[in-house]
Amino acid sequence: MSMFTRNDKSFDANGTGTASARDKTEAPVAPIVETKRTQPPAPQTYEVATPQTRVVSVISKALKITGQLESTEDIQVDGEVDGDVRGVSVKIGSNAKVKGTVYGDTVELAGTIDGKIEAKKVVLTSTAHMSGDVVHQDIRIESGAYIDGHCRPEYGKAANKNTHAAAKPAATVSTTVSTAAVRDKTGPVAEFGTRV
Amino acid sequence: MPALSRLALVPVPLGNDGPELPASHLGKALTVKGRLETSGIVHIYGTVNGQITADRLVIGAGSFVEGDIIANDVRIGGRFTGRIYARHVTLDGSADITGRIFHHTVTVAKGARFDGRMPWRPLNFFERLEHLREAQ
Repeated sequence: MSMFTRNDKSFDANGTGTASARDKTEAPVAPIVETKRTQPPAPQTYEVATPQTRVVSVISKALKITGQLESTEDIQVDGEVDGDVRGVSVKIGSNAKVKGTVYGDTVELAGTIDGKIEAKKVVLTSTAHMSGDVVHQDIRIESGAYIDGHCRPEYGKAANKNTHAAAKPAATVSTTVSTAAVRDKTGPVAEFGTRV
Repeated sequence: MPALSRLALVPVPLGNDGPELPASHLGKALTVKGRLETSGIVHIYGTVNGQITADRLVIGAGSFVEGDIIANDVRIGGRFTGRIYARHVTLDGSADITGRIFHHTVTVAKGARFDGRMPWRPLNFFERLEHLREAQ
């Protein structure tokens, strides 16, 4: 009780008589509402610690993966991957290292790849370091990017029909459906793990 | 009485010093075949087939992990097959586990399914394991 009286005095000292009156009426109610709100999510904070807005999977800078990564969603790599990466939209962060082939609809590289990129749309930012070939349909290279390899606009063409199976045909854009249909006629689509 | 003294020995979860590293998040659609190594936190909601080494590991409900886990703190809410070596293990109610859990302390929620053994080990067992980690 003594706390309330002390607070009232300080409000009066500030000269806001009407505000203090409002606080008096609402003050006992507000803390109860707040505690009700904060109690339920408390156990969840452990599990859902990472705020996910756009990127579905994040390989953080401390993580090293030796092996294959496959996803039908987006992947952001900030760590180290020794193996192939398959996703829809793949972003390789500025301190990331990938040794292997990166497949995707869109690949954005700001880090290092030692291997190959096979994607419909490729973006090499100014900090990109690419050692190996880039198979693409649409490429953007910013000033400062390093490339040691061939850039071939052959994504989705006959030469690499098997590797094109990165994303499932149902997920691809309508323009690629025709090529997918051709593939189905020629034979079964290769599994993820297979290589030409 | 011995149970109480055991509890006193349990280190604070996340024993690693220094700034907390950003957590890795492996989403529902992601499949990893191979080894995962980190000194930080990993959240798995997809499928992992292989060995996982981490400080803290969370295997969410709906995920599937097969292989060995070496960590300080493990929380499992999904399906898991293999061995766990961890100081502290928490099994959520949605957990479905086959294998062994080498632990110092363990928490099992109501509803968790577990088929296998849960051998208790002293803390120094896990310290030695960290040296083994590199040799593997």
